[in-house]
Amino acid sequence: MVGVTGYELVRRPSRRSVAVAGLAGTFAVVASVPGGPLPTGLALGGVVVLLAGVRLGRHGVVDSGALVAFGGVVAAALSGTGAVTVVFGTVAAVVAWDSGTSAVSLSDQVGGDADTLRVEALHALVGAGVGLVGGIVGFVLFRVGPTRQPVTTLFVLLLAAAVLVVALNR
Amino acid sequence: MTYNRPYDSDSAAGTAGTGDGTATPATDGGTEATADTAGGSTAETTSETTPESGTRSPATTRRTNRWVGVAGLSFLTAGLGVATSTRPLVLAAVVGVAYLAYANVASAPSPSLSVARTVSDATPEPGDEVRVTVSVTNTGDASLPDLRAVEQVPQALSVVEGPARAATALRPGATMTFAYTVTARRGEYAFDGLTAIVRNASGSEEREFDLRTPATTVTCVPPVDATEAVPLHALTSRYVGRVSTDTAGDGVEFASLREYQHGDPLSRIDWNQYARDGSLATMEFREERMATVVLLLDLRPEAYVQSGEEGRNAVERSIDATHRMFNSLLDTGDRVGVAALSNDDIWLAPGAGPTHQAEARHLLATHPALSPTPPAERVYIRPALRMLAGRLPDDAQVVFCSPMVDGAAAYVARRLHVRGHPVTVVSPDPTRRDTVGRTLASVERSNRTSDLRATGLRVIDWPDDESLYEALERARRRWSA
Repeated sequence: MVGVTGYELVRRPSRRSVAVAGLAGTFAVVASVPGGPLPTGLALGGVVVLLAGVRLGRHGVVDSGALVAFGGVVAAALSGTGAVTVVFGTVAAVVAWDSGTSAVSLSDQVGGDADTLRVEALHALVGAGVGLVGGIVGFVLFRVGPTRQPVTTLFVLLLAAAVLVVALNR
Repeated sequence: MTYNRPYDSDSAAGTAGTGDGTATPATDGGTEATADTAGGSTAETTSETTPESGTRSPATTRRTNRWVGVAGLSFLTAGLGVATSTRPLVLAAVVGVAYLAYANVASAPSPSLSVARTVSDATPEPGDEVRVTVSVTNTGDASLPDLRAVEQVPQALSVVEGPARAATALRPGATMTFAYTVTARRGEYAFDGLTAIVRNASGSEEREFDLRTPATTVTCVPPVDATEAVPLHALTSRYVGRVSTDTAGDGVEFASLREYQHGDPLSRIDWNQYARDGSLATMEFREERMATVVLLLDLRPEAYVQSGEEGRNAVERSIDATHRMFNSLLDTGDRVGVAALSNDDIWLAPGAGPTHQAEARHLLATHPALSPTPPAERVYIRPALRMLAGRLPDDAQVVFCSPMVDGAAAYVARRLHVRGHPVTVVSPDPTRRDTVGRTLASVERSNRTSDLRATGLRVIDWPDDESLYEALERARRRWSA
């Protein structure tokens, strides 16, 4: 009379989730173009791996893809790309990774067939906003702040800021 | 031992996923966080109990640790920037620190939610599709940037369309709605649970809790269905019925001739014999009497077996058979009752009439012990037998529905038989012969039924691919021949 076969939960993100991460990834690739062919290739390869990881629903693949893509942005920075472009590329790489892993965890918990576009888009937008605000603040500090200080001092300052942020939360 | 028990594996989607794949259990933060949210969150929900909001389990708070890598990476970048005197890289590290702050400033909100459900049909027939619509409203003051809701579908029901889950962002006062379809099967089911997982905006922390709401019930009662005439033993009550007995008296079927006694009705005098030799003789017929039948269900966990990966288990088939036999026995004028080998007290004393029929129909459809999922505890048959023996009327015969997969079932049948209650075993056959082990189990079972037949019990073997009607008909032909 009644069989017990039924709907099976798809534990892989939908194409729409891939599109959200793909959009951010494209920006990361664009940002590494001024660095030359090697950084561009690195970023492009990383983004492709990241998107594949999203589609497969594998956290590890997404992480490694994002790492390679960010490596492309770093390579571009090392070959003399401007600060604005590098910050932009960094934010794009982080947003791509963030929306990718978030999509994977969503598909894990609610399934790829559920309508998750709203929460994913919001997550990506807020993530991009945070990155851009952070980038602008940093940029302003670099312009207006103690530019004569050696870079090591800046690094120590950065470290202090990070420790403060973590300590405040505990 | 070799019967399949794949029952649980393919039931509906029930519980939440295990969470973020990267979320390794926090070494020290996790447990500490759980402890301090448990008190706070429950206090908050009890203070605002809207009719639908229900109760809430203590929340489990987990750190997903997804931003840990970003922190490390930004310091690496900063170090590289310092080493190579590349200012853009140090700037990129500032972005990393901004994300670190983003991940750490806010914790997962402690939401208050209200849940409402509607079902397309609260009293479906078996096999009907029921659409369940779930609305989740954020009744708190805080926005929920990432809310994931997982409906706790009753275990025996299977979801056929749409995930019974959803994720969205909810403003205060906003509602999200999702719907899914289940296939109804016999029983009474309560939709009353929802697992909610709430994350903060950065996803660095998530809070998971169960929300109990007033149940929306779906009651699925099979239609009255009686097609099979059940072959019965000759033990009967003293009331007129349909089972022919060896007692001579009123009836239809000729039994014997005896010498005329004063007062015998004229209609029963054998006038042919009187014409032949002038002596008076009275014809006697087989009396037809009413039988009292108790249908006994085997609800021990051992009986929840099925042949193959899909299809119904033996208990489901037994209940279906009981339902049909009950109705057909009532139709033929017998008194029928229902009992079960179960830890729950299932007993419907033999009776007749429409009220009795309705009672049995409701019992067989909705009693929780008759659900398609096996009970958690084992059933001890001796106390169950003692209880049953005390209740069975003296003239009752028993129709025992059991897959006969172990010696205990045979023991029950034999015990009842020797107590003077003739037993007919209707046995849904759950065995298969596709592997050596299964063949062995199948042979063991058929040996068991042969032994029972040898001791005078009737066993009706009911294969999976045959209808109950065919099985009963085959048995009746064999017994009347």
